[in-house]
Amino acid sequence: MGPVTRKKVFSIMALCAMISLLLLPIIVSIPSPAIGADAPAADAAKKDEAKVEKGRDVYYKTEGIVVGAPAPKTTDGPKDYPRYNFESRVLLWFANQQHLYYGSFVLAVPIFCMIIEFMGVVTKDKALAKKYDQLAYDFIKISLTAYSLTAILGGILIFTFLTLYPAFFGYLSSIFRPVMHIYALMFVAESGTLYIYYYGWDKMKEGFLKWIHLSMSVILNIIGTLLMFLANSWIGFMMSPAGVDEQGRFLGNIWHVIHTALWNPLNVHRILGNMAFGGGVVAAYAAYRFLASKTDEDRAHYDWMGYIAMALGVAFLIPLPFAGYWLMREVYAYRQQMGITLMGGLLAWLFIIQATMIGILFLSTNYYLWQAMGRMRGAEKYQRYIKYLVFILCCGYLVFITPHTMVMTPAELKAMGGQQHPVLGNYGVMSAKNGGINVIITTTVLSFVWYMRGNKVSTLSWAKFGNIFMGVFFFFAYVNIIWLAIYGYYIPANVRVGLSVPQVATTLSCLFFMFALNSVMMKGAKQMGPIEWGKISVRSQYALIMLATAFTWMMGLMGYIRSSVRLFWHVNEIMRDNSPWAYTHTVGFAANMISFNVLFFWVSILFVFWLGSLAAKKVPVSATATAPGGAPQPAGSH
Amino acid sequence: MGDLIGQALDIGWPALALLVGLLVYFQVSIKDPVAKKRATFKTFIGIIAAVMLFIAIANYKENFYGENRLLPVSLVMITSLAFMMGIYFTNLAALLKIGGFMFFVAAALSGYGNWLPQVEGGFPPKEEKLDFSSMTPQQLADEGEKIIFGGIGQNKVQGAIGKGQCPLCHAFHAGMLGERAPNLLGLPERAGKERIEDPKYHKGEPAKREYADKEACPGCGTATTAQEYIAESHSCPSCYVVSGYGVKGTNDKESPMPKIHKPPISLSLPELAAVDTWLYVREGREAPSFEEITKSYEKFIPEADRPKMTEDKPAVAGALLADGSEPVDQIFAKAQCVSCHTIPGIPGATGTIGPKLVEGTNAPTRIKDKDYKGTAKSTPEYIMESVVSPSTYVVKPFPDNTMPKVFGQKLSAGALKKIVDYLSNVYEGKEPPKIS
Repeated sequence: MGPVTRKKVFSIMALCAMISLLLLPIIVSIPSPAIGADAPAADAAKKDEAKVEKGRDVYYKTEGIVVGAPAPKTTDGPKDYPRYNFESRVLLWFANQQHLYYGSFVLAVPIFCMIIEFMGVVTKDKALAKKYDQLAYDFIKISLTAYSLTAILGGILIFTFLTLYPAFFGYLSSIFRPVMHIYALMFVAESGTLYIYYYGWDKMKEGFLKWIHLSMSVILNIIGTLLMFLANSWIGFMMSPAGVDEQGRFLGNIWHVIHTALWNPLNVHRILGNMAFGGGVVAAYAAYRFLASKTDEDRAHYDWMGYIAMALGVAFLIPLPFAGYWLMREVYAYRQQMGITLMGGLLAWLFIIQATMIGILFLSTNYYLWQAMGRMRGAEKYQRYIKYLVFILCCGYLVFITPHTMVMTPAELKAMGGQQHPVLGNYGVMSAKNGGINVIITTTVLSFVWYMRGNKVSTLSWAKFGNIFMGVFFFFAYVNIIWLAIYGYYIPANVRVGLSVPQVATTLSCLFFMFALNSVMMKGAKQMGPIEWGKISVRSQYALIMLATAFTWMMGLMGYIRSSVRLFWHVNEIMRDNSPWAYTHTVGFAANMISFNVLFFWVSILFVFWLGSLAAKKVPVSATATAPGGAPQPAGSH
Repeated sequence: MGDLIGQALDIGWPALALLVGLLVYFQVSIKDPVAKKRATFKTFIGIIAAVMLFIAIANYKENFYGENRLLPVSLVMITSLAFMMGIYFTNLAALLKIGGFMFFVAAALSGYGNWLPQVEGGFPPKEEKLDFSSMTPQQLADEGEKIIFGGIGQNKVQGAIGKGQCPLCHAFHAGMLGERAPNLLGLPERAGKERIEDPKYHKGEPAKREYADKEACPGCGTATTAQEYIAESHSCPSCYVVSGYGVKGTNDKESPMPKIHKPPISLSLPELAAVDTWLYVREGREAPSFEEITKSYEKFIPEADRPKMTEDKPAVAGALLADGSEPVDQIFAKAQCVSCHTIPGIPGATGTIGPKLVEGTNAPTRIKDKDYKGTAKSTPEYIMESVVSPSTYVVKPFPDNTMPKVFGQKLSAGALKKIVDYLSNVYEGKEPPKIS
């Protein structure tokens, strides 16, 4: 057996080991649904119907045999709520948030690696393929450093739960016992796969072995995603419990407990959020390395890395509001008063902050793209139009953050003369806000299109017609979105809600059709000059850092909102929180706490980056090493 | 500010001492005047930055629970010092500038959060033990208004909400928005006519109903009077849904309203009687009697499903922890004071979660404290106030809301008096009083 064949055999064996690791928890879990499956349950019922106690599922409304204890009724005291000389809830908040930040990051980055490695494998330009491969390797290297921290923070989180909320954690683990064991096995599988994937990089870099390596990244991401889904089932259960009766007694069907009303929307929302967040963190890392670079080569490499990370992050940021919309719709469908507490009640001001954050994210993205046009010859022609984009973005932003009705004290109500502000109250209706955010997203799409064609001129015979068509398409998209926003004032509120569908459809049409058309038009286009990677303003890198910080902050904010909507319930309507902290903090306190969490995360991860920079560096492939006229091409762009 | 600088020095003196030591060391050890000047300048900048950092930390520590609007100031200070350090420590400039910028972004967002109106969600509604059955209709209606809106006279206040959470979806006055659920003005009139006579309601024929639920419980039947209709709507919202107010996509077959006697609202039958009485009384109508209303609910809510007035209570209105017949050390133990406080003379009272209770010495000083906003004029008054209403004055640096606010209800007057008498006579450095 020659060395190449042996390598192949070992690689295939490693891949099989990974698949086994992936399947192991699934195989282990097969008997667990049977605990509550119909057949044994029915048998048991037949044998001794008189002795078994039955309960009705609070969500699925199905009957099941009671196999668990009721949710404990806690009392404020050292037994149920042991504590230090500090608010236990704040300690848990901190431990949870840090684990989530790191967890999101290490789950998102391997997905990027998979995409980038795949791009490297399919790219025909060898120099560019090598660059993509190097980039994917850089990404996974960053993720690996953060991986061990994630595990440590997970341990801290469990200890915090066990020591500060023993009754609650005891109840939750009694319900989720099989899921928690599977989770632990999945974690082992994730670790094993990640290490084989990372350390096998150099040994499997070409030909068939590369494909095996790429398959490993697919398995790694399947495991990571399943891990996240399992963790989501716990928070889904806390918000919208199922699989238990009114007293919180487990009815034996573990799938019902996992598959709660909000599980799927939470899964989709979180996976998109993690990706956007991961993009932000890697972009910030690239910005840091760019700013600290001493050579042009380094600057070029990290400029490119920052761009790719930003583009991937934004690609997942754009559908995020739509996933959020679905989640909120499901929240309203599950419990209307929960939805109202979120959007029109106690937590409504936090959504005003969220709107502000979304605006900041899109403004930062646009600013970065405009700055990035400075590194390509030929893009000057678009510079003079940027002021108009700024104006459109600002208008959209102002409309988007204008509130309609607000929670007020009697004195404030009297001072304002009604439940709506005399001037602003006329503008903040939902269709107008939808109009605002859709204008912002469409403008971001336009900025991307301009960036993608910055240094190119289409050589197609129908290029002129194509350009006119694109201009007209964008013009009518704006007209449609704005017209519907205004039309919303003339129709009843319940009809007005439906206007969001055509508004979103218009934006998505711009996104898909214009990107596709632009790509076709720019294929084989004449280049006015290469993209001069590294020759971007320092300000642009701060835009990337702004993007990353704002995204981290928004993640903390939305997590807080999601968690605090349960108000004084550990498990909504099942297990009541009787600790001294069963109240909702003020907006200001929450904002301070979120800032603290964000800064702790960033200070710690900057420290990790710095440590990483001390390690022996892999010399990045020279930006100038690419084929003439084939400057490094960002993902999916020109 | 003076206090903050003092606290900053308390926290950071070892680091500051180290920097000052370095400054002295550089003066002695560096011979090259240019290098000496540079090292001196950098160390001096380091000292200023460290002082700023510790002031920022002291501000966080001091104002974490109290004046949290001041906390973003700390972040701004850290931003400035990070940029300042970035200028002089060029090898770490990128890291410091990025860090500084992040602190600036966080400070701006934190400041924004603090600038917005501050709404705090209160504690979960506490269940009071009231005898609704002996109340007059007006008293009952007042209690009903409290349950719906959170207070008497609150029904016209926008955003007012009580344990029942009704105004989240329902409007109660003419012209008020009621897009999510029907406006309840005129309900007593409408219930007995329009609603139960509606062919879709299928009065007396629940099996013919096309809604998500046919009946509130097997064999419950349908309403025959206005009051029964109201009771049925509360206990089985999906037995009949007013057109246009169903869950989206169900063609008005299912109501988004929760069953009012089930969690999270869990109103007991007497509480529901109070709510219904208000609906009648506020329109100047004669309300059915308490017994008639509870009977209407009994028709639709089986015995096993009826929430009890004492159910799921967060250790508020249970039995007394101490009735005052016990010696004072047992009262302290039964009320769990010993877990959190150190109390001289009381065996096992060595807790450190709350302040040490030497109130003979401390109370007079605290009453004079500029931050004291209570009404006590003497030591016993101060102790009583601290036990019954612990948030009136919170001893620094202990956090607020740690001590339960239930001792006013959980301790008898005799037990409270014993606590006050004992603690009034505990002085720092003196023998504690005898246990009686």
